[in-house]
Amino acid sequence: PMFQLIVTPSTALADEPVTIRVTGLPPSQIVTLKATLKDEKENLFQSRAFYKASEAGEVDLEWASALGGDYIGVHPMGLFWSLKPKTAFRRLIKKDVMNSPFYITLDLYDSVSLNDSATIQPKASQMVQRWFSGPGVQRKQIREGRVRGVLFLPPGDGPFPGIIDLFGRIGGVVEFRASLLASRGFVVLALAYFAYEDLPNKLLEVDLEYFEDAANFLLAHPKVQRPGIGVISVSKGAEIGLAMACYLKQVVATVCINGSSVVLDLPLRYKDLVVTPIRLGLERTQVHVSGAARFRYLTDDLWNKLNPQSMLPVEKAQGWILFIVGENDECLDSRGYAERAMQQLQSHGRSRGRMLAYPGAGHLIEPPYSPFCLASWNPGVERPFLWGGDPADHAAAQDHSWGEIQKFFRQHLIPTRSKL
Amino acid sequence: MAQLTATPLSALVDEPVHIQVTGLTPFQVVCLQASLKDEKGNLFESQAFYKANEVGEVDLERDASVGGDYVGVHPMGLLWSLKPEKLLTRLAKRDVMNTPFQVQVKVCEPYFPIKNVVPHAPKDSLTLERWYVAPGVTRIQVKEGRLRGALFLPPGEGRFPGLIDLFGSTGGLIEFRASLLASHGFAALALAYWGYDDLPPLLEKVDLEYFEEAVEFLLRHPKVLGPGVGVISVCKGAEVGLSMAVNLKNITATVLINGPNFAIGNLHVYRGQTSLPTPTNIEFTSSNALGFAEFYRTYEQTGDVDSRYCFPIEKAEGHFLFVVGEDDKALNSKAHALQATSQLTRNGKKNWTVLSYPGAGHLIEPPYSPLCCASRIPFVSPNIHWGGEVIPHAAAQEHSWKEIQSFLKKHLILDVTSQL
Repeated sequence: PMFQLIVTPSTALADEPVTIRVTGLPPSQIVTLKATLKDEKENLFQSRAFYKASEAGEVDLEWASALGGDYIGVHPMGLFWSLKPKTAFRRLIKKDVMNSPFYITLDLYDSVSLNDSATIQPKASQMVQRWFSGPGVQRKQIREGRVRGVLFLPPGDGPFPGIIDLFGRIGGVVEFRASLLASRGFVVLALAYFAYEDLPNKLLEVDLEYFEDAANFLLAHPKVQRPGIGVISVSKGAEIGLAMACYLKQVVATVCINGSSVVLDLPLRYKDLVVTPIRLGLERTQVHVSGAARFRYLTDDLWNKLNPQSMLPVEKAQGWILFIVGENDECLDSRGYAERAMQQLQSHGRSRGRMLAYPGAGHLIEPPYSPFCLASWNPGVERPFLWGGDPADHAAAQDHSWGEIQKFFRQHLIPTRSKL
Repeated sequence: MAQLTATPLSALVDEPVHIQVTGLTPFQVVCLQASLKDEKGNLFESQAFYKANEVGEVDLERDASVGGDYVGVHPMGLLWSLKPEKLLTRLAKRDVMNTPFQVQVKVCEPYFPIKNVVPHAPKDSLTLERWYVAPGVTRIQVKEGRLRGALFLPPGEGRFPGLIDLFGSTGGLIEFRASLLASHGFAALALAYWGYDDLPPLLEKVDLEYFEEAVEFLLRHPKVLGPGVGVISVCKGAEVGLSMAVNLKNITATVLINGPNFAIGNLHVYRGQTSLPTPTNIEFTSSNALGFAEFYRTYEQTGDVDSRYCFPIEKAEGHFLFVVGEDDKALNSKAHALQATSQLTRNGKKNWTVLSYPGAGHLIEPPYSPLCCASRIPFVSPNIHWGGEVIPHAAAQEHSWKEIQSFLKKHLILDVTSQL
């Protein structure tokens, strides 16, 4: 057999696409393409799709339509974003972003292979490396004053636009998005705010002065572009990011992914100001058919009962705000929050807000090709969290938003003079 | 003092229970929980959160759940929203005669699945008995000729409308529906046809003469009314049921739940005539977001569209009731029912009704059965996604069960005058 499985590039950054082609097949042969990955804890992730070779005996994922499997239709990177854990509810997150890639094995079978078989071997195999940091990117552990996190620096002297990267109630530090952005020319501080080193174990309040310390630290760095920094933030992090945009003049460009525009659950504190949060009624948690917990409706009749003081004062923001919204977010009503914030901006004559709403996308909008995760475990909770989303739509949202996010930061963080 | 009541405490599994709580404080939020252990020790649980009224009462027939496994007014929600501790476990009673399912119902302080938080003791609890037979129903093991199964007879003198109960892809002998129908006045024969006793371990062909023996066995029985019998059948069973109605005499009324209108996977033979199994495109198998296999597209180029494969349903003499779950992910049930009934209409026949339920999945069972959205069946390797959303599926089960019984009684219990 003269099958050839050609996958290029074999080594790339995780947000770069890969072309996958098979040649030398019998005309119209039905084949299975399977992808396998083992994460750093040995958890197995797999995906597969079934294709019909052309008359010329080729399958090229750029134009071939998957007939079945983990996705249907033309999706050149479908094998990557449809990777699923063997054990339900595990989420794929790269821990060591500097020293090792994810290794993904692509296998070709010349039949429909619904399951793994000990006896049937693939006809061809290729392995690709997916890296979370580019050559020359540096990683530095940060312990300055109260600030705890990890700083990623692009190669070169700079200055580079500076960004603070915030995740949500997963806690600790999540590095993979920061390291990828650094690989794209930004200085990024993946900032921890609880459950990390000597920070509090539990998040009991949001102390904006801590985040101001982090912003000042970043702006003071010799490689960081002045006069202002950006923030990229998701979930609970996005509520904090929006608060930073409202209150901190150091923050001139903020990306809020699926966050709330009101103070939820925990008080927000900034100097003398204390904002009382909206209560989350845990009795309104719903259980999805899979057993995962759906938190989207924890606020009861929010907009009618809202205390205006709990609304984040977006009209005070001096910089630019980009809301990234997954319309099928099952964790919170992201679209509702973003729309309210946009209305608030407009009613105060502010025009520096923009919303990108993605139909079918869920809560965890991550860099492109991140495997779609419907629900996963969160520390300290006995049910998985339902994130929502439709896999193919979610993948498209990740693809599109990543480009928009980088454009947004370059546009607002790089002074016009230096763009010439 | 909080008090939990349920009436009746002991009942048939398809009978509703009225659950109430009294003695709470006004507007107190409580959690109602149900739990059940099946005969293999598998745990099933559900919960719902209610807010008491101004006199500290909760009445599940009146009040809406605000969260948990269902929301809204659903008096039987605690039962049909039970979920297995281990995903993919299906609830099915084996011993239908001697023991009920025992369901523990508790009222307690709301608590949330946070790790290391010990729940308070319940305020009150009780145990429901859910029986699969009414008092006086008898079970007769059937081992006559080739027939293997169990005949359930209602109590009392006289004759009862007879029916054959066929299940599908799990094989073996499944008794719980037949025993319930006997409790409602039918002489019901739960008939095994593979994977049971000395029957073939694997279904190789559908030998209609075996099923003809079953019809004749029933009609010979002194407690069966005649002159015809009914069939109630689901999935693979419905494929057999339709084939029986087309080929055999004395089948007066056939209930087909989520079945195909053509042969799938096996030859059908009857007195020298054969129907070949319909070609399938296994490459059209999809996978849902949790990795469970969906087979409903695999006949979309063959049986779904080409009438050459369809059973000649116009040759059947009895009446048909098609029960369709529109969210069936195992079979394209709606298309099959439409195709079959169009064929009847084209041949000038009006002997059919279709009950089509949006949001219902493949496994439409007697009322209050928990939705099993995915499980394994013998000889098929990936876990199968059956489809269905919890609340609409429960409604479909409740509605269809009544309709099925009226349909069967209407056609099997003939008015003496209508024979003149």
